[in-house]
Amino acid sequence: MTVNMPIDRRKALVIAAAIVGRILVFAFFPQLPELLTGQVEVSTPVTSYKRLQEGLFLYIRDVSPYEGGIFHQAPLLLPLFSLLPGRSSISLTTGLLYTLMDLANANALAKIADSGEAVSSRLFTSPRKGTRLDGAALSIAYLFNPFTIAGCLGRSTSAFTNTAIVHAVSNAVTGSPFRAMFALALASYLSMYPILLFPPLALLCWDQAVQKSNQKVGGLNMGMNLTASLFACINGFLWLSFMVMGGSWEFLSATYGFHLSVPDLTPNVGLWWYFFIEIFDSFREFFLGTFWLQLVAYVGGLTLRVRRQPLFIITTLLGLFAIFKPYPSISDVSLYLAFVPLYKHIFPLMRYTFIATSVMLYASLLGPAFYHLWIYAGSGNANFFYAITLVWSLGLSMLVGDMLFAVLRDEWEVERPEMKGKEIKRI
Amino acid sequence: MSLLVNSLRRLRSHPQLHKIPPYISLLCIVGGIIWLLLLPLNQYSRQTYISENALLPGQVHTYFAGSEQNIFRGYREELRSVVKESGGEAHSSRENNVLWIDTISAIFKTAGLPTATQYFEDHAAGNLTSGTNIYSVLHAPRGDGTEAIMLLAPQQNARGEHNINGIALLLTLARYFKRWSLWSKDIIFLITPDTDGGPQAWISAYHSTHDPQTVESLPLKSGALQGAICVDLPFDHRFEKISISYDGINGQLPNLDLVNTAVSVASGQMGIGTTIQGMHHHDDSYRARLMTMLQGMISQAVGHGTGAHSVFMPYHIDAITLTAAGDGWQDEMALGRTVESIFRSLNNLLEHFHQSFFFYLLMQANRFVSIGTYLPSAMAVAAGFTIMAIHLWIRSGHVELRSELPGQCINAEAALAEKPSLDAHGLAHPPPNRQTQHIDRQLLKPILLILLAHLSGLIPLYLSHHTTYSHLPQTSLFTSFILLILPTLVSALSTLLPAQQYNLTKSLSLLLLGLSLSALATLNFSLSLALGLLCTPILFATRDRSIPGYLSRVALMVISPMGLWLLASTYFAFWVGNPGRVGDVLARMAFGWNVLGAWGVGVGIWGVWWPAWVVVATLAMTREVREGERG
Repeated sequence: MTVNMPIDRRKALVIAAAIVGRILVFAFFPQLPELLTGQVEVSTPVTSYKRLQEGLFLYIRDVSPYEGGIFHQAPLLLPLFSLLPGRSSISLTTGLLYTLMDLANANALAKIADSGEAVSSRLFTSPRKGTRLDGAALSIAYLFNPFTIAGCLGRSTSAFTNTAIVHAVSNAVTGSPFRAMFALALASYLSMYPILLFPPLALLCWDQAVQKSNQKVGGLNMGMNLTASLFACINGFLWLSFMVMGGSWEFLSATYGFHLSVPDLTPNVGLWWYFFIEIFDSFREFFLGTFWLQLVAYVGGLTLRVRRQPLFIITTLLGLFAIFKPYPSISDVSLYLAFVPLYKHIFPLMRYTFIATSVMLYASLLGPAFYHLWIYAGSGNANFFYAITLVWSLGLSMLVGDMLFAVLRDEWEVERPEMKGKEIKRI
Repeated sequence: MSLLVNSLRRLRSHPQLHKIPPYISLLCIVGGIIWLLLLPLNQYSRQTYISENALLPGQVHTYFAGSEQNIFRGYREELRSVVKESGGEAHSSRENNVLWIDTISAIFKTAGLPTATQYFEDHAAGNLTSGTNIYSVLHAPRGDGTEAIMLLAPQQNARGEHNINGIALLLTLARYFKRWSLWSKDIIFLITPDTDGGPQAWISAYHSTHDPQTVESLPLKSGALQGAICVDLPFDHRFEKISISYDGINGQLPNLDLVNTAVSVASGQMGIGTTIQGMHHHDDSYRARLMTMLQGMISQAVGHGTGAHSVFMPYHIDAITLTAAGDGWQDEMALGRTVESIFRSLNNLLEHFHQSFFFYLLMQANRFVSIGTYLPSAMAVAAGFTIMAIHLWIRSGHVELRSELPGQCINAEAALAEKPSLDAHGLAHPPPNRQTQHIDRQLLKPILLILLAHLSGLIPLYLSHHTTYSHLPQTSLFTSFILLILPTLVSALSTLLPAQQYNLTKSLSLLLLGLSLSALATLNFSLSLALGLLCTPILFATRDRSIPGYLSRVALMVISPMGLWLLASTYFAFWVGNPGRVGDVLARMAFGWNVLGAWGVGVGIWGVWWPAWVVVATLAMTREVREGERG
């Protein structure tokens, strides 16, 4: 992996330190990855590394990995992991793989930052573009984010989805739409929900194409092309999986069906599990529909409202996914937080950064404490942990909402320069 | 509505408002203490009550009397003769202890109970302790072996007194229980050499979480443990009261129903008074209640257990110790009947203890406050730190342009020169009357410093738990001294620090402190409150060159983990004349950490207190960047 960006030696050293630190932990403190792998904040039923081990065990012995009802991840992960040497749960090679993925993400994020898409897109240039961060700083912010580190050490397979999403965005930003669609197809194949990123990503690709070429680019034409390539790639992945699974479509219901119908209500940091434990079975389908609709509904609204900054739509959607997905984990949050520093120029416009950060810090300390009280000490109950997941989601939604406010305010000040610097008053 | 919001907005930017938060912080700390002092009053504490209907304490006749006393005496004499023969050492190898093991096993076997032994070794602070647990299982005549309750007696109690009587009572009860056909849960009888290592080895092996290198696996097992009672009768004369110990490792407590059952059986059915926390002369006054509560809180904060029952709590098994206390007219049979009645109640349980409170403070055997009433005091203390953090955060976002007091003003020009690209955006331009200038916050250095402080805590944490016993006192004193002067050394590297960096670092440090304290309050309330109060000097330490400023720094140095430790060592060495005490305390801590898994004090001091202290102490040693000086 070459880091082909103009960075000075000090920053390269810092990035190397992040990588070496991860490998050292994998090599010398294997208890820590083991501990994190079992944490519900890191591992969800659809991303858990332990469940992957179970699937792998069955797969290697020529039994359908979905047989036991434990494994719910994409089939193509199995041949990948079965090729890795050292299949024990504490394996340095797996650690190395996850570390490399983090490095690749950092590299892609640096490309996104250096493209300057966040501060000036085709249709909008922020008046505050002077204060943006460079790629290396963004990589460092990503690599040293505690949530990223925890996700990497916990080896949840959402790391693959995250890598695919980051590369989809970085390819879209650097003007290679088909590679972007390939990456998005991979992400959607792995976790399904990233397909919702298609509209803003297509807009991003189109903006780039218009900016690059001097002649007129047909919007409809490009849209058709992108859609076609996306579905071709997804179909390719599905067909490959079909072959890997020995000619069985069983994996469709075991993975995507699982995402859609949410049958496993193991606690996680999201909002679904408690609600669906409590709900009467007769209303289950209705509320499943409502919850999914709620997740999907943001795509259209945001794409229309913030049309001029497609990268920001993607950022906000990633934040919303981390809150409203059926099985969210902190590695989804780490992906969102990877994109947040791109918008450093609007930070001064945000009003609740300190509060939101504090709330999230409180939740990330109290969450494990309450989970411990509930599950191990037996002196608490499910409400303790659920209350903290609510607080966690509140903190995240404050951040998402506040950023949205700041970006809209930034756009507004370009439209109405006379309002610059005035405080907003409720009329 | 809009009028209200806008007027609040105007009020927010009022300069006087920014002087209030330190006083609110102080108010929070004082309020936390006052809240605690109110708890013993009748209005705030409640009478205990049984929540679980299935328990029905004291509703059955007890038949443990008469001829059983002769059997008890016989067992006692037999055990005594064995102890006399073998020297009476509780911790000895299996070979030296063979007579003791054989005698007890024989008694169990004569009663018709399957019996097994377990050898264990504990390594802590370079010391090796070993011993053998003997236990026996009464399979329930009416049960399926999926649930069990437990009676245990240690050879030596928590104060190191021999507990031959307690063991004889356990053996008598085992023989007596065997003859009843009404048990629906298995009963396990366990005899351990001590109150910590032995039960810990047994319970970890029972759940197969032990290290097979040092602890033998159990050949005989039963179902899920629902409760455990430990009997402790450390003398030959008659007793007056039963003292109930209930604190577990890391301050975890058994379900209040178990304590209530014991109290209700002893005082209601048997007419034996009950006491807690060693307060044998409780006169129901405010003072006595407060003392009992504080004793309980200290014990909870230390979290090292108060008896053989303590090690069961982390495994979610509710357990208590019944210790005979005082000189009165109750004999061992009364204690036996109490145990019998409690066991009949436990036998009735339909599900694991869950009805009553797990978080409570007892201030008398039958008076308690629940978490909803007492938690606000620890949270108020933790909130004090958070409020100060928010205050400093807000201050770090501005530089004052006005200079009222020549010594204290912050030089805006210097700060402006530090950060030329400030205020590229328009919004934060202050209204003209504010006299402040918005500046960008430089977060990188403060975050790195705080991270480093947290990581540095791992070194003393490791040293204090892995140094061998003989080197422990010297190591601790040397490390304490080094750590105490560390802030001075670090700040010597760069004495000048801009006000913004100072405020930001202190803000983030206090924020993390408040955060850790409130997370800790949910796990171990007393520890969190104690740490919160000990951290008060951190909150008010300043770098002013004034008398209060110097005083605050002296307070910060004295009330620090190292400062207090050095003082305590000096006290023990010169006033008490027992310098070995220091090493004993440290060895005890190391044993708790390594064997019992008591992490509370270690993590509390080196993971919460030390990082905040070292950061703020370093900050307090720096000086502000003045006009003409550069940092």
